[in-house]
Amino acid sequence: MNPTVVAETVRRHVTSIPYLGYLVLLAIMAFGVSRMDNMPGRIWPPLIALLSYIVGCSVIGPEFSSGTLQLILAKPVNRTVYLVSRVLGATAVVWIALLVPMLIELLGRKGQHAQIILGTTLNYALMALLTVSLMALFGSFTRAYFNIAIYFVLSIGLSVVQGAMGMLQMAREGFFAWLGKILTDFPAIPKAIVWIDQNLFPDAPPRANGSFALMVLSNAAVALVVACLLFRRREVPYGAD
Amino acid sequence: MSGVRVRRLTKSFKTVTKVQHVLKGVDLDIAPGEVVGLIGPNGAGKTTLMSCLLAFLEPDEGEVTIDDKANDDLDVRRRTGFVPERMNFDRRATGRAFLRYMARLAEVPRASVDDRVEAMLERLGIQHAAEKRLSQYSRGMLQRIGMCQALIHQPQYVFLDEPTSGLDPNGVLLVRDLIVEQKQRGAAVLLNSHQLAEVGKVCDRVLFLSNGVITRDETLHYTDRIIVAITMMHGTFDPLKVEQATGAAPRANVVVATVEDEAGIARVVRELVATGAGIVDVRRHTADLEGIFRGEA
Repeated sequence: MNPTVVAETVRRHVTSIPYLGYLVLLAIMAFGVSRMDNMPGRIWPPLIALLSYIVGCSVIGPEFSSGTLQLILAKPVNRTVYLVSRVLGATAVVWIALLVPMLIELLGRKGQHAQIILGTTLNYALMALLTVSLMALFGSFTRAYFNIAIYFVLSIGLSVVQGAMGMLQMAREGFFAWLGKILTDFPAIPKAIVWIDQNLFPDAPPRANGSFALMVLSNAAVALVVACLLFRRREVPYGAD
Repeated sequence: MSGVRVRRLTKSFKTVTKVQHVLKGVDLDIAPGEVVGLIGPNGAGKTTLMSCLLAFLEPDEGEVTIDDKANDDLDVRRRTGFVPERMNFDRRATGRAFLRYMARLAEVPRASVDDRVEAMLERLGIQHAAEKRLSQYSRGMLQRIGMCQALIHQPQYVFLDEPTSGLDPNGVLLVRDLIVEQKQRGAAVLLNSHQLAEVGKVCDRVLFLSNGVITRDETLHYTDRIIVAITMMHGTFDPLKVEQATGAAPRANVVVATVEDEAGIARVVRELVATGAGIVDVRRHTADLEGIFRGEA
């Protein structure tokens, strides 16, 4: 890890007015939720997920297209170290934001439902790491903001495929029934699709969960390792003749 | 062997339908303290060559070494500076913050980062804009700050891609001075530029890249000798005597002689006058880059 790169990544985001505005929005939502008797640790987590997408998509891909990456790679910075540092920096930006609603809701509820609020915070902190790692992975072989496009196409695509498979298995005749039979005869196919979806885009449980944490951490690690392997060999041409 | 060494460098870009061979066996050497210009028409492969030298691109074949080490070695990177044609970075960063970041990445000792940053800002004449965001910088100011980030760690190998692009005349003169300073402290400089006059003024040697190969390697300035072109009045000189006096045969009415120092110029002129030649012009010889460009492009 390169502390300079991590610090610069954090500085770049936390000094921006949109980020500070986002923190205010999170604070307002967390305060509002804390006034409700039920729904602890609700409402604001989707905003954290959204922030993970926004911050994560800036890793590598856009830098490649703008020429920033070439400027940095001319310096004595190992590519793997740079990528990991960017991911950690971007994740830290989300974690900093995560502290705001967590603290406000804990204070607002005077410590009530602390287990749920802390569990939600931990789960979304881990999910932020996974999201940013996946963005880094998709950015390591594409340019500009294709990483977030791939992320959403994959995320939505997997859900659509699962729905389509369910419908095919219910079909009674014709080509669709034939396809449905294949899926019924080979249950590993739908299982694999579900498994990929659950591993890449998991739903956070309402409380801290050891197996969920382990799954998210290991998936983030795999994504990061693959991203590093791809990025190490990637050519980064600049300009044009 | 110290310096930049490139051997049999080939690079091609493949698409689904075709293969474009951009570099077709480039050999070049750049010694420490040498300023080498890279010129050539658009599409000749200059930027690709630069990218290969900086390890941004992986060659198909051939090798690139700097001080006998692979060009992507971190130790080589510590001694390398690079100015891209267009400087891009987070435009919300101030000039000073950007330079601090670049200095830290370049492993400038923490204690001297601020001093180096201020010195470079002052040297490049952009101290007044240090707290402005990069988004407020003009093209010329971005070029200047690009030079700052490349030189902040006093690299031994400097790669400049169109460093005077977008600069005003003062900026051009400043970059010229900076290149000379790098040479004087023993750094090797590769200057990719379309500004032939600039290349002619600061470079010791110029490489002409055309269609993926270096077709000319022309020495412009020697450190240990001077090339002087002497023009004589038609009908006043005997070519044999001129050759005896200068060691070089005249072409038409011009003889190009090589001398060791300025006193040598006076001596050669005296000897020519002694043969009866009427001297009409004496000037230090510089390669006619425009002529080379026209001939090779």
